[in-house]
Amino acid sequence: MPKVLIVDDSSFMRMAIKSVLEKNGYEIVGEAENGVMGVHMYKELKPDIVTMDITMPVMTGIDAVKSIMKYDPNAKIVMLSAMGQEDMVMESILAGAKTFIVKPLKYDYLLDIIKKLI
Amino acid sequence: MSDNYINEPMLEIYLFETTSNIQNLESLVLRSETNSSFTQDSINEIFRILHTIKGSSSMMLYDGISSVAHSIEDLFYYIREKKDVNFEFDVLSELIFNFIDFAKVEIEKIKCGDLVDGDSTHLINDVKDFLNQLIQLNPSKEEVIIPTSNTKQQYYIQQGNKDSTSQEMINTPMNYYKTVITFEDGCEMENIRAYTIVHNLNDITQELFHFPQELFDNEESVTTIRERGFILYIKTDKHYEEMYEIVNKSMFLKELEFTQLEEESEFEWGRGCKTLETPEIKIPEIDNRVEAVVERDTGSVQSIISVNVTKLDKLMDLVGEMVIAEAMVTQNPDLKGLELENFQKASRQLRKITSELQDTVMSIRMIPMANTFNKMQRVVRDMSKKLCKEIKLEILGEETEVDKNIIEHISDPIMHLVRNAIDHGIESSEERVLSNKPKKGTVTLEAKNVGSDVLVMIKDDGRGLNKNKILQKARDHGLIWKKEDEMTDKEIYNLIFLPGFSTKEGVSEYSGRGVGMDVVLKNIDEVGGSASIESIEGVGSTITLKIPLTLAIIEGMNIKVGNARYTLPTTAIKQSFRPKESEIIIDPNGNEMIMVRGQCYPILRLHSHFGVNTKINNLSEGILIMIDQDERSICIFADGLIGHQQVVVKSLPNYIRKTNNVQGLAGCTLLGDGSISLILDIGGLINAS
Amino acid sequence: MPEYGEVNDNVMEEEDTQRNKFLTFLIGNEFYGIEIKHVTEIIGIHVITEIPEVPEYIKGIINLRGKIIPVMDVRLRFKKEYREYNDRTCIIVIDVKDVSIGLIVDSVCEVLTMQDTDIIEPPDINKGGNKYIKGIGRTGTDVKLILDCDKLLNDEVVEGIGSIQS
Repeated sequence: MPKVLIVDDSSFMRMAIKSVLEKNGYEIVGEAENGVMGVHMYKELKPDIVTMDITMPVMTGIDAVKSIMKYDPNAKIVMLSAMGQEDMVMESILAGAKTFIVKPLKYDYLLDIIKKLI
Repeated sequence: MSDNYINEPMLEIYLFETTSNIQNLESLVLRSETNSSFTQDSINEIFRILHTIKGSSSMMLYDGISSVAHSIEDLFYYIREKKDVNFEFDVLSELIFNFIDFAKVEIEKIKCGDLVDGDSTHLINDVKDFLNQLIQLNPSKEEVIIPTSNTKQQYYIQQGNKDSTSQEMINTPMNYYKTVITFEDGCEMENIRAYTIVHNLNDITQELFHFPQELFDNEESVTTIRERGFILYIKTDKHYEEMYEIVNKSMFLKELEFTQLEEESEFEWGRGCKTLETPEIKIPEIDNRVEAVVERDTGSVQSIISVNVTKLDKLMDLVGEMVIAEAMVTQNPDLKGLELENFQKASRQLRKITSELQDTVMSIRMIPMANTFNKMQRVVRDMSKKLCKEIKLEILGEETEVDKNIIEHISDPIMHLVRNAIDHGIESSEERVLSNKPKKGTVTLEAKNVGSDVLVMIKDDGRGLNKNKILQKARDHGLIWKKEDEMTDKEIYNLIFLPGFSTKEGVSEYSGRGVGMDVVLKNIDEVGGSASIESIEGVGSTITLKIPLTLAIIEGMNIKVGNARYTLPTTAIKQSFRPKESEIIIDPNGNEMIMVRGQCYPILRLHSHFGVNTKINNLSEGILIMIDQDERSICIFADGLIGHQQVVVKSLPNYIRKTNNVQGLAGCTLLGDGSISLILDIGGLINAS
Repeated sequence: MPEYGEVNDNVMEEEDTQRNKFLTFLIGNEFYGIEIKHVTEIIGIHVITEIPEVPEYIKGIINLRGKIIPVMDVRLRFKKEYREYNDRTCIIVIDVKDVSIGLIVDSVCEVLTMQDTDIIEPPDINKGGNKYIKGIGRTGTDVKLILDCDKLLNDEVVEGIGSIQS
């Protein structure tokens, strides 16, 4: 089962993503609520995919992507952004994120992306 | 969005998280109110909270909440970016409070399963008007652009591997491709997606051009891509299949046209179509706005988990049943008379562990009063504004913990008492100044542990209670139950707890309908607590609520009357003894009484009170148990004592409570042998005598 | 007639198919029925702890595996003569709108399926005794009085129910 790490400061979002992915055969190996924990957990758990929210306290999604890419250039990170965050999405792509999905989340898109990334 | 994915646990988490966020938002604004300004940190935190609420609400399809959150988020975005905006703090905080109230109402609707149909247009318009006003009042050269409007931003784009113009590359045969990419409908930000593809192709292409050229002219490029697709011309040494595979792997592809160009000239034609030179662009400085956000203490967050209350209740029930089952084993009638030393040792150990388990589970359900107390901040604020009184709320001992069940029952009474204190107790500023009191009235909420109870005090430094007024009102309503000159001050003050009582001249929105105090008392009573009031006229009043730490388990004394079994809380028992005939007195009304150490106590025969058959009718053959509560004592008569036991309190089924008219039963419990023992309510028995 | 213990097996079914199934029981010579969807279990007579100052048809409470449940003597509820409990006496535990209560009946019969066509409206009788009867079901030659559990639990004393049987 492919392993996924969810990084998002909203426990609601984490639960929503977790519930969809688990129903479709993915294993959620961890949940982090800010960038620092996200990076730490990536190193510990070595997931296949990471879903990363952009706006988070303590360390933003962008910095977390930079950190993770430095640690593992092959990391597969999907950014979660809100409408109107073009520059931040740009920065994350430049930092190494593979793609992004816009909130409100369309579950089909999320599943599609992850399937393609694996 | 597929409805299959919105399920119960998600709704619960949404409600939990959103309620929590709303509370934090409220506290933040209240705190900022004391300074009449927002710190940069507060602004960031407020922005973040609104952003989260907006996101999750829109996912759960609660567009009312989401749209208002969005509009205020935009407002705060402006304030955040502008950094030194001039605005009316009061108006802004009022807007936020209106949103908070709106959200609270909608959330209640969600909880009750009602239609979440609140009309948010009014609120949104207010917010938008405010924002427009701000923009007008704060003119400046740079515009703070709220995202989603036209933003021309410049980015650095690599154009293929320009440096790999080494000998090798020149000699390798190149392939030319043209691809038209159409993205999935509604995937949003197609320009960035297009850029992503370009970015990913950079390393493996020699050269590439794309149309639209300007990807960051938001409106136009997005529309162009949506209408005509994203067109790419690629020069690379990769073969057709390989390139196709790579491009096909892109996300959100709806359609892909991929053709190999026969001639280099076609590629050049593509290059020629470029009307603009690739601009030299800088990577924008996105200062990490979010860094300024208040840092959360990740350490402590990790050591707390949220647990579904139903699970906790189930755990409590199970532990309660375990206590009963443990008693059924260790006190089993089969073991009567047997000398079992090892068994006794083992059962003592079991008892010890069960006891500890019980204590631990109970402590899980204990939560600090802080939450309840802090809710009062808003109440105080709103009321003082409405009544034009300056009031300060002081909170002491908020870390005192009380069982979750109990907190839910006393929240409303406390709110009512606080409102009362502000409405009736605290005088207007003028009156206060005249009486040499500080202009600002103080309401103090205090909680502390005393024995196995928790005391909650609501104190005000207002005008205090007027004994005469109270006596007059009580007289008018026929509520006097004792000779007036024999009543202590305390008894007089406590008259206000009687139903139908109200001394306030007019009925205000908040209190004075005469249904307040006795409802408060009823609620407190339901959790086994009591209320009393102390007051000094002109100085202030203090209402003290005494509530048991927990409903669930009490130290009980089991007694028997005929075939019936009853349990008394041991804390209420003063003493028990077998009376002598000679000590019994009969008063002129035929009531039995007993003299103990010079004091006279009424006797309540349990068998007559509860209508139970027993052979023991003679007082000297049974046992008298002296019980007391609130300085009133009586002696109850039973056949005999069975034993002392820690007892799990179960409430009587609602059906019974509805139809039962007799006072004196507080619940029931299961004894070691499986039989039911009725738990006696001391207050009720005392009132009945 | 199946023993009352066996009736339990029929209780575990879908809501829809439960709609037309009724548990029938006997009070004296009259058959009554209640919708199976309300029935949670059927037990023999238990030790009853009396509660003072309740209507006489409320006999008290029992301990059902740790849960405290009130019990109602249906005979007394319908103003019939009290009969001593014996080993045939059963308690039907029903759950109506989250209220659990045990109904003490003379004995339990069987689970019957009755189509909507088999059930007719109760006759309009004086004293509102038919308030508690939702309908009258015919099965062959027998007549079963279908009880309205809601009203049974909530309304005041029933009168003259016996006069329906004619």
